[in-house]
Amino acid sequence: MLILLGLNHRTAPVDVRERLSISDSQLPATTRALRALAGVEGAALLSTCNRVEAIVSTQDEDVIGTIVEWLAERAGASRAELEKYLYIVRHGDVVRHLFRVAAGLDSMIVGEPQIGGQVRQAFVSAQELGTLDSLLAQLGDNTLRVAKKVRTDTGIGEHAVSVPYAAVELAKKIFGSLRGLHVLLLGAGEMGELTAEHLHAQQVRQVFVANRSHDRARELARRFDGEAVQFDSVAEHLTRCDIVIASTAAPHYVVAREQVERALAMRRQQNLFLIDLSVPRNIDPAVARLEGAYLYNVDDLQQVADGNRERRQQKAQEAEQIVQREVDNFRRRLVAQDAVPTILELQQRLESIRAAELEKCLRRLGPIDAEQRRAIEQFSSQLVNKILHYPILELKDASDEPQERESLRRTIRKIFGLR
Amino acid sequence: MSFLPTDPLYLALACYAVGTLAALTSLFSRDVRLQRAGLVLMIAGFVAHTIWIGTICTRTGHPPITNLPEATSFIAWTVFAVELALWIRYRVYAAVFFVYPLVLLLLTISAAVGEHFAVLDPQLRSNVFMAHLLLTTVGVAGLLIGVAFGLLAFIQDRSLKSKQRGRLWDWIPSLGVCKTLGYRALAIGFSIYTLGILCGVLWSYRTNAELMDLRVKQVGALIAWILFGVLLQQYISGAYRARRTVLLSAGGVVAILVAIVGIRG
Repeated sequence: MLILLGLNHRTAPVDVRERLSISDSQLPATTRALRALAGVEGAALLSTCNRVEAIVSTQDEDVIGTIVEWLAERAGASRAELEKYLYIVRHGDVVRHLFRVAAGLDSMIVGEPQIGGQVRQAFVSAQELGTLDSLLAQLGDNTLRVAKKVRTDTGIGEHAVSVPYAAVELAKKIFGSLRGLHVLLLGAGEMGELTAEHLHAQQVRQVFVANRSHDRARELARRFDGEAVQFDSVAEHLTRCDIVIASTAAPHYVVAREQVERALAMRRQQNLFLIDLSVPRNIDPAVARLEGAYLYNVDDLQQVADGNRERRQQKAQEAEQIVQREVDNFRRRLVAQDAVPTILELQQRLESIRAAELEKCLRRLGPIDAEQRRAIEQFSSQLVNKILHYPILELKDASDEPQERESLRRTIRKIFGLR
Repeated sequence: MSFLPTDPLYLALACYAVGTLAALTSLFSRDVRLQRAGLVLMIAGFVAHTIWIGTICTRTGHPPITNLPEATSFIAWTVFAVELALWIRYRVYAAVFFVYPLVLLLLTISAAVGEHFAVLDPQLRSNVFMAHLLLTTVGVAGLLIGVAFGLLAFIQDRSLKSKQRGRLWDWIPSLGVCKTLGYRALAIGFSIYTLGILCGVLWSYRTNAELMDLRVKQVGALIAWILFGVLLQQYISGAYRARRTVLLSAGGVVAILVAIVGIRG
């Protein structure tokens, strides 16, 4: 059976989560320690900044107590204290939980893409350590497949939900690839800095930084491998740059419509994306009316981010349906797999009865022609198949609750006289 | 059961019709799978369309561009081939909303007008004339693709300016890509179209001892050439204006349609 114990950003505060969190370097040893606990047959550990989860396969539900003790010891807390924050998931619910987690449906920001990679890392690492049994290995493969399917089919993680990312997304919508573009950062506001950082990560060609304090400009430019420029040379740089981020504390416009108009003429109408993150605004709003200039202020970007968040929620509903379908499929496959030995034994048992009774019957009948013999054989086979049909169906479609499944198996074995 | 030679035409038409319907429905249902189904149907139609064009070539012994139905069918085929190539390279989903109906419309005209397997007037059996037909047809296909991408660039520009996402937002590539593809298709289409017109002038001069017969199709072709020339000049000079581009493109397309319909005259 599958069991998952864990805590996440909803059930535990950060000071509890950090006590249990496992760094990349600690992961192998900790996973091995989990696997070594009495009763654990297969084990994997998932640790992110928002969750720590132990996933195990076992025959014995009492193992839960052992794992809780082990976790409490790691966290330096008492069992009772830790239990307040823990959730315990069993059987089919583990499958559903993991599918949802890997698809980003259980994340703080729905659809965030990092969690898929973290789940992959957890299972790949466990696979390499040899702590996965066949059940967990199957679960891992299916979890990653479902996460990919959800992302591909719904596009849940496609749109930015923060202001800096929304700016990057819009820049991509204007220019396509951002490689080779020039960025001008005006001022040293926090949001502007963050946006420039995201753009820099997209491999823009050069970041120019202009600030009233040239020292601060130099410091920022170093961070982006860029170039500090004088604040009064902004007009000149407008012609060279494709993206302008304004984030100064100036109480007036620092970029005028005429400057942008001139720059656009010099740029032969190549598009210019202006991001005004300052309040009061630093870029003349009249710039937005110029052909080839796209001006977004902080409210516009916030609106884009909010809109994307809403869209993610809508896509999450589609994603939940996919997850539910996949959980059902996985459960059916597992139950069917589990029932195979009993079904084979059942078929062999009835086949041997059929063969013995057929032999007796044919002896009693005396000489008969081949066609008559075939008809009797066919009749006996069909009879056995009909008798087996419902028991096999029940075994394949049994509950995912192991105890119920075992009870059904015992009953069928008893009725048909299997050992 | 026997097959008629025109079966591939009607099969292509049916596939294009259902494919276009699926693609247009996907615009409202926001279902990418439906759009993929539309693409598969369009490709099936394209295969049947190719067989149809091959049938014409085999039966008549000349390229399938000598009368109105043949020309519209060949333009539709070329437009879809270019669109397919661009889709494979750039995955431009939104272009299908303009290209599929255009392909369907052109092939419907071809099927409705009839005149399949027309015998060519001996006077028209000339390499220069064939080059004229082939180059203008391919050139027109390039120009129509350029117009489709110009239109996408316009829609994207309006969405970015108004800060309102339209239905096509997710399916249109970046403004930069739309403009680049539009410009390239226009530049290539215009160059080929110009060569085609020059071949036509040369053929006319050789046959009738005059540079151009000023009938509807020639006037339409000439106006289209001028409008697309101005449009291209705008792209090259950097004097690009979204609204003006759309107006010039619309004028160019109307002129081309007039020229195509004028083929019958």
